[in-house]
Amino acid sequence: MDLLILAATQVATPLTLLCIVLGTAFGVMVGVLPGLGSVIGLTMVLPFTFGLPQVPAIALMLGVYCGSVYGGSVTATILNTPGTPQSAATALEGFPMAMRGEASRAIGWVTMSSMIGGLFSVTVLIIVGPALAKFSLMFTPIEYFALGLFALTCIAGVSAGALAKGLMGGALGVLLATIGSDPVTGALRFTFDSFMLTAGIGLIPVVVGLFAFSEMFLRILKLDEPGMDRTTMKVGFSLPPWSEWRSRIGMLVRGSMIGSFVGALPGTGAATASFIAYSEARRTSKRRENFGKGEPDGIVACESANNAVTGSALVPTLSLGIPGDPVTAVMLGALVIQGIAPGPQLFANHMDIVYALFMALILVNFVMFAVGALGASVFTRILRVPEPILIGLIMIISTLGAYGVSGSTFDVWIAFGAGVVGALLRYFAFPVAPIVIGLVLGPMLELSLRQGLILTRGSFLAFLERPIALVLFIITALVLLWPMLRWLRSRRA
Amino acid sequence: MAEAQNRPVTIVVPFAAGGGTDITTRAMQQGMGESLGVDVVVRNAEGAGGTIGVAEVARARPDGTTVAMAPVGPLTTQPHMNRLPYDIDSFSYVCLAYSAPTVIAVRADSPFETLADMVEYARANPGELNFAVQAIGSIPHVAGLGLAAAAEIEMTYLPVNGDGPALRALLDGSADLFIPHVSFYSTNADQLKSLALLQRTRLDEQPDLITAAEQGYDLDFPIWGGLVAPANTPSDTLERLETACDAGIQSDGFQDRMEALRQPPAYMGAAEFEAFVRETYATNRTLLEAAGLISE
Repeated sequence: MDLLILAATQVATPLTLLCIVLGTAFGVMVGVLPGLGSVIGLTMVLPFTFGLPQVPAIALMLGVYCGSVYGGSVTATILNTPGTPQSAATALEGFPMAMRGEASRAIGWVTMSSMIGGLFSVTVLIIVGPALAKFSLMFTPIEYFALGLFALTCIAGVSAGALAKGLMGGALGVLLATIGSDPVTGALRFTFDSFMLTAGIGLIPVVVGLFAFSEMFLRILKLDEPGMDRTTMKVGFSLPPWSEWRSRIGMLVRGSMIGSFVGALPGTGAATASFIAYSEARRTSKRRENFGKGEPDGIVACESANNAVTGSALVPTLSLGIPGDPVTAVMLGALVIQGIAPGPQLFANHMDIVYALFMALILVNFVMFAVGALGASVFTRILRVPEPILIGLIMIISTLGAYGVSGSTFDVWIAFGAGVVGALLRYFAFPVAPIVIGLVLGPMLELSLRQGLILTRGSFLAFLERPIALVLFIITALVLLWPMLRWLRSRRA
Repeated sequence: MAEAQNRPVTIVVPFAAGGGTDITTRAMQQGMGESLGVDVVVRNAEGAGGTIGVAEVARARPDGTTVAMAPVGPLTTQPHMNRLPYDIDSFSYVCLAYSAPTVIAVRADSPFETLADMVEYARANPGELNFAVQAIGSIPHVAGLGLAAAAEIEMTYLPVNGDGPALRALLDGSADLFIPHVSFYSTNADQLKSLALLQRTRLDEQPDLITAAEQGYDLDFPIWGGLVAPANTPSDTLERLETACDAGIQSDGFQDRMEALRQPPAYMGAAEFEAFVRETYATNRTLLEAAGLISE
């Protein structure tokens, strides 16, 4: 109790509160700009934390982290240009909804679901943090491979109606991911003697290209995707009424749980979580025939999932010292600089810091909601900017975003290339999200499969001896057979 | 050249922000800037094990405005294994900025207490020990090769993606040992146990870490990095950079940061650093060759 009070006094200082507000607002801004994601945002504020005391420094980083995950979804929704892979799935329902003229309502769904997903995962972190960390250690490379395989089934979920095209896109993504050095032997693959390709194809430039650039190219050519109607939109922020929420609480809880679970496994991340949540929602929703046309169920699922990752990704980072992705790696770096060593001893000896972090995280989620609600009138007004100016601005910002990841003009060319390919694919009604899924999951699948085979000394059958992996394999099979099972049942009835 | 003196100096860090190399470089930034009288900018250009960023500096104009914080791997191991657009002659050497030993780490509850315990087990069960390798051809990998050669043991190499994943592989039981940087080890000391410090003498800061040398194996594998400029940088420019590097390392900000990271301080001037790079380059070639990791 004393520790709680001590933590509260550390959080309730003007400096900490200022850090929370500024960090969150800055994070939202960075997330909103296509290409500038969580990592760049955190890197930019990292030097400022050096001069701050522990708690304000943590608060600043948490604000930027959560704000940036949320901000990416705003642009995904209103412009169909998810700047971060984490919010790529949100665009699938958010943008059609905005196109219907309901941009303000779509932002309302996004903001509310984000906050609830975020708060859910803070609760998870507080209640079962260390236990969840122990559970995550039951996932060896073999379980990761099984999970990755399951996550690949999302491709079916995001490409309904164009399954063959979706699978081709997914395969393309996985193939693109093999470019660069072999994760096991270090040998170079598909680099065609280009030194720049030895680093592989970056995820962010591809996402910027496939979504932002291709969208702008299509707009420039005035070639809309088939059946899309661009009408004038309402600006502002509009919270959906309780009557619409009531039937979606299940979606919200399921999305939050998926996000919290996936986030706790180092090396997976928010993009995977939101795609899984989306395809799960699409499979189980009562309104599944509305998917692809702006169904709030999809937004709720994606947004609660990707923001639920924020809290639970801190579980392995704090309690084991294992950051799950580049984002939590920067967070961890900032903590270590502050003299806060992660691991079990953090929870044993520095509970005051841990409590302060929890409180800051809770506040960040509320501030994020406020920033979103206040910012919505600005964000939605972006749509009133004359199209040529808007396209110009987005092209410039996206180019900066693609460049900024590793400061390389090569990445800008990758993004432009992906933009041209994306525009062509979308013109021919290929879904582009499967490419991103393949690119996100490809490296994880390959590495975990090959690590698993090293551990079992080359035996595939030994994978089936691991209970968690076996359950995941069975679920994967069931999910793939699900449409067939449903068809059989409807025939019997 | 006169104009170049007034332009900001960019230090390219070839790894991601927030990592050890990045934090160390940013800690020097202010002190260096004060000495040079211009802004010092840190830029992360990650990819391909650090070779992308280092290559960028090899190609840069040799006027002292672009330098790299070049780590041991991209300078002394990667050039042996891959065809790169640079080699050790592509640079003018400025200073060694950091250097810290590695340790052989096992889980805190591991049955091994000493290096001898582990070697004994490995000899009785060839190939049974899983050694998590953060990156192929990295110093931890080379150190593991050195250990296997010196102790005449066989291990199975489990490639992972960095220190964090290596720690996870240890904790989830996939791997039996890994070789982290001493500062990563100390940060996670409550979950780990050190079998040997891979340096010839004990550390003043952590005298309880027993060296491999004391246990009969002469293994010395520090992880280090230093500033390099493109080859043919004028000597007066190099001298200014060397003085600035020294000033950055002496600054209070840098010293405090190193203490927080539990990283022992280190410094070498230009001449000493260049000789050191060339020597390490040759030794690492021998080890990589013996392990069959050099194809040509």
